[in-house]
Amino acid sequence: MIHVPEDMTVTVDASVALDALQDMLAKSRQWLPLDPPDSSMPLRAILEHNESGPHRIGYGTVRDYVIGLKVTLADGRVVKSGGQVVKNVAGYDLQKLFIGSRGTLGTIREVTFKLRPLPELAQFIQQHCVSLEAAGMLIEKIVESELTPIVFDLHRLPERGLQPGPTSDTKLVSLPLTIVLGFDGTKEDVDWQLALAAKLGFQQPATLDYDREFRTKAGSLQKFSVLPSKQIESLRSLGNEPFVARAGNGIIYHRAYIPMPPQNPPIQLLRRTKDAFDPTHLLPELPA
Amino acid sequence: MASVLTPAQQSELSQQLRALLGPDAVVDRPDELLVYECDAYTLEKNPPNAVVLPRSTEQISQVVKLCAKLNVPIIPRGAGTSLSGSLLAVTGGVVISLARMNRVLSVDVRNRRALVEAGCVNAWITNAVKSHGLLYAPDPSSQPACTIGGNVAMNSGGPHTLKYGVTTDHVLGFEMVLPDGEVVWLGTTPDGGEDVDGYDLRGAAIGCEGMFGVITRVLVRLIRAPQGYKTLLGVFETVDDASQTVSDIIAAGIVPGAMEMMDQLITQAIEAAYKFGFPLDAGAVLIVELDGLAAGLERQAQRVIEICRQNKAREVRVAKSEQERADLWKCRKRAFGAIGRLSPNFLTQDGVVPRSKLPEIMRFIRCCSEKYGLRIPNVFHAGDGNIHPLILYDERDPEQVREAVQAGNDILEKCIALGGSVTGEHGIGVEKMDLMSKQFTKDDLDAMQMLRRVFDPDHRCNPHKMFPGSKRCSDFAPRKQAAA
Repeated sequence: MIHVPEDMTVTVDASVALDALQDMLAKSRQWLPLDPPDSSMPLRAILEHNESGPHRIGYGTVRDYVIGLKVTLADGRVVKSGGQVVKNVAGYDLQKLFIGSRGTLGTIREVTFKLRPLPELAQFIQQHCVSLEAAGMLIEKIVESELTPIVFDLHRLPERGLQPGPTSDTKLVSLPLTIVLGFDGTKEDVDWQLALAAKLGFQQPATLDYDREFRTKAGSLQKFSVLPSKQIESLRSLGNEPFVARAGNGIIYHRAYIPMPPQNPPIQLLRRTKDAFDPTHLLPELPA
Repeated sequence: MASVLTPAQQSELSQQLRALLGPDAVVDRPDELLVYECDAYTLEKNPPNAVVLPRSTEQISQVVKLCAKLNVPIIPRGAGTSLSGSLLAVTGGVVISLARMNRVLSVDVRNRRALVEAGCVNAWITNAVKSHGLLYAPDPSSQPACTIGGNVAMNSGGPHTLKYGVTTDHVLGFEMVLPDGEVVWLGTTPDGGEDVDGYDLRGAAIGCEGMFGVITRVLVRLIRAPQGYKTLLGVFETVDDASQTVSDIIAAGIVPGAMEMMDQLITQAIEAAYKFGFPLDAGAVLIVELDGLAAGLERQAQRVIEICRQNKAREVRVAKSEQERADLWKCRKRAFGAIGRLSPNFLTQDGVVPRSKLPEIMRFIRCCSEKYGLRIPNVFHAGDGNIHPLILYDERDPEQVREAVQAGNDILEKCIALGGSVTGEHGIGVEKMDLMSKQFTKDDLDAMQMLRRVFDPDHRCNPHKMFPGSKRCSDFAPRKQAAA
């Protein structure tokens, strides 16, 4: 691992776990601003699945932090793209192609990230809402306010320790709806935002444990990605199912059996990409 | 040599383009084509066979299909501000100008997005949304002229990329006409969610230097304008002191919106041109702009002032008004324009080094300047380690041209040796093709060609760029001499 704190970059083997990397970076008060539900996963898995967590609204996804990659192609050749510097447009941006490719185009060996300083202070707060409509209205108020949250989630989860029984699940009239906000930066910035959030009713301290607890549970996790202004509509279609939503991004994680809203990806180009990088289809196929 | 077409083919091409677009959308008189013989990289020139000025994606698709049928290269073009020759019609072809597709189509304030045509000028986007307290973040110095389509093609940067990232971080999706005429949308659609199934072809195509197709419409991300700014100007005796200040600010965990350095030579030229009040005897000036919530700015500014003083800053000024801040940025962004006072021609490079290597590369540039007897002022994105040495020369003196090219090459090779890159934002184009093999292995370049084949299997879209050993203009002599 090569970490140059004054450059705010790190080059690391893709088999290293994210939490091990974060521990090392924290010694220099830096971090990779990424908080997927399972931080014990190796970086390779996080990159190949483009994993992210509640900090996504404030810091973006891992695509925004990868500045160089070393990849083993299907034919065994090891190639690099990008480099070690934070700004670089030499050659095509192959990093973007491999991130989220689920190992179907090659195997990520080594990665170089740009980093961020650990904030002086980070605080998380929450507020409960009586209905989706109320949550929707509060979300709009937050969007229109001068708040710049680094976490902006809405979730509806069974109370902790209160597992819904097999029969009662759908009969639960309503699980509690909660909006979670996070602020970080200088102490002055955070205090100012907490005061503003308090005026919107956010008083109760929160943790982000719900994201890991919900998303790493057994059973297949579904995802909707919708226009943020339309997410309440999509959430309504879930009935009383539990969910965690990135309210700032319009990303909804749930386990209901509801078809994803159809997308219209450029199928031919996607196929040609697979064929160009893996002509004999040695590597896994991209799931439909 | 203007083209690879015979006169009969040229006349057929012109006739068919006119039939598709009408006579007012086709430029093919030799004197008029001279406008399109190069971009802002002027060492190599060659006119295209024709230029078209379409008004719709559909028209572009028709032109592209025609060019595919006639096997003529296509060269997408925005405002022509590229600094690397990425718009050069090396073997002729049809330039597809986006100049008439320049509208902001819609602004979605709630979801912080805007849909614009590719020929829309960068600065127009922010102008269209600032009444809502929003802005489009990437701000290349050419933003009053350069187009968003060109920005996407080149993955453009700008001073504020230090905190906010480059074009790829702010473009959600775009429409592209592939080299066979097919129209595709890559990435997030205007009314769709931000996550898209399949490979990130949006990200892979941003920075393709116009080699994957013609970008026609772009969906950009808007961000909230910062609540406040603190813009500081540190005055230093030496470039080394200013460079060290940059490293120390980063090490202190402060991420300014921008951190820009100007050395003495460029500061003098800017002062002569724009009269801002820069000190003429300082070794370097450093612009540090903090932005964000107003609450925390004052203490951060104090910390930056402290760090400047620790590094022997003679003086630290703070912009007292929005007007003063705007004036300062205007000077910085028009720095290249002030060079006309120093020299008839200049060659600019935009190599990148790890931030901690800035003092070393600046010393190397001084050595180059002495070695070749050429003046090399510097104005650059210090926070990103992205240098912009401006090598001054007179094109009437072939020896100076040769030395300027050689000095540029030396500097870029040094950037590679220091663990950096030959380009941070200007792109490879034709200018830096031959340096690619110094930064990447043959296998690395092969992988890039795999991606190119996905979009352009026939190599007809903006050909002869980026890859080492590509064909050059037949009259291009200086580099051959320099390489000898």
